[in-house]
Amino acid sequence: MKGCKSSRRFSSALAFLVALLLCAAGAQASGSPIPHGTLELIAENKWIAIGHPFYLGLHFQLERGWHIYWVNPGDSGEPPRVTWKLPAGLNPGVIEWPAPRRLGTSSIVDFGYEDAVTLIVPVRAELSLAAQPLARLGAEIKVLVCREICIPGKAQLSLTLPIKSRPPAPDARTRELFAGARKDLPQPAPNWKFSVDDAKDSFVLGANVAPQITQAIFFPLAEAQIDNSAPQNLQPLAGGFRLTLRKSDRLLKPIERLKGVLVLCGNQAYLIDVPVSRRVAQKNNSSSGIHEIQSSREGPQK
Amino acid sequence: MKRSILYTILVAVMICTAPPLVAAAKVGQAAPDFTATASNGKTFRLYDYRGKYVVLEWHNNGCPYVGKHYKSGNMQRLQKQWTGRSVVWFTIISSGPGRQGYVTASEENAYLVKMQAAPTAALLDPTGELGHLYDAKTSPQMVVINPQGVVIYDGAIDDKPTTDLNDITGATNYVTLALEQAMAGKQVDMPATRPYGCSVKYPGSTH
Repeated sequence: MKGCKSSRRFSSALAFLVALLLCAAGAQASGSPIPHGTLELIAENKWIAIGHPFYLGLHFQLERGWHIYWVNPGDSGEPPRVTWKLPAGLNPGVIEWPAPRRLGTSSIVDFGYEDAVTLIVPVRAELSLAAQPLARLGAEIKVLVCREICIPGKAQLSLTLPIKSRPPAPDARTRELFAGARKDLPQPAPNWKFSVDDAKDSFVLGANVAPQITQAIFFPLAEAQIDNSAPQNLQPLAGGFRLTLRKSDRLLKPIERLKGVLVLCGNQAYLIDVPVSRRVAQKNNSSSGIHEIQSSREGPQK
Repeated sequence: MKRSILYTILVAVMICTAPPLVAAAKVGQAAPDFTATASNGKTFRLYDYRGKYVVLEWHNNGCPYVGKHYKSGNMQRLQKQWTGRSVVWFTIISSGPGRQGYVTASEENAYLVKMQAAPTAALLDPTGELGHLYDAKTSPQMVVINPQGVVIYDGAIDDKPTTDLNDITGATNYVTLALEQAMAGKQVDMPATRPYGCSVKYPGSTH
């Protein structure tokens, strides 16, 4: 990875183009209605191959200005919830959530998605599955759709797919949507060193990274750990950066780990899970990276 | 480039060291005082209710999370139950004029009658000043203040953050829990939770 470059304009133009092409194709735009949008259950492959895991997707298309929520919705709202109705032998995993965006700029900040998003879910197809020409896959979705107001929606989705004992083949019609969804999934962090200091009113996330980072946003996976609306102050350092995250007023107990998604340069999302070290508790234990350099510079604490 | 780093550091330091604009309410600390006008035209001041428990309920009549508790009668039941035990209950509306959930005094009075709501009063906060003082994020966010004027609970109404009326049965109501535990002289088990619901529609905010 190199430093931050502004590639968003290009990628959004590309996304727009893809959307136009999909519209022009006209096909597969047949989602079920949800408040101010549509929702469609899609499959990655043309058929379910017995013994081969595969992905299903929930493709949301929202009217301009409306949004839905990430797994941690932030200050308000709630994430979509799915109840699967699948034939025995198909076992769904959990939603793999793409990196969200900060929604709102005032004292209330939520985490979610605008315009369009595809939530993908891995499914195991057990060896016990029987081949059949038309298996019906169902999903019941509860979703809160918000702009200024919030409207709870419900949708019953279904999809019929053959179950075969032949190896899977990708469905060209949904390829773009799954590729797009995967592109936005947070990746395991590269071999960088992270540290988190519990510093009274804030957590200081330190990262030891080679490229120069000029833009970083952290999205916490747990609720009520950080103050969602507080500015996250990025401090570039030689060989890394520090990001100061104000604690939530509702965080009354120390936390052991800080888990979440770190988005660098606006579009590079990484999953991080970092133990929290408390300054008072740290005497001669060695934590890593930036933090170590920093604390040795600061000298003994009083 | 160097200059921009210096600038970033400077701004970061300034933000870190700046005092908060208002001393927002925090669990375990004194509840900030306020004076507000209710839909019935009367003026209420928090500090006049020292010696009593006070519940603050952020309200928005178009929010489906609020609707869940009013359509089911749950909120009205709580209001009657606790005001019947000398608790002061303020319903607070912090939607700005022109924003969703904003109501005039007479609209609110009609709503209270229609819903058979029974708070001590419905406080109108069109400037959002009171909402910001308590850093209210959502409707229905709930705050409980003890007779000594200390915030003993701030957060959600219960442990089921949904709009589904069926989720009221079997939910743990955090307001009831806090009031019952505090009145029994016990520690409040859950003094702070994420206040689920719709964002408060403050004047000037975009969200």
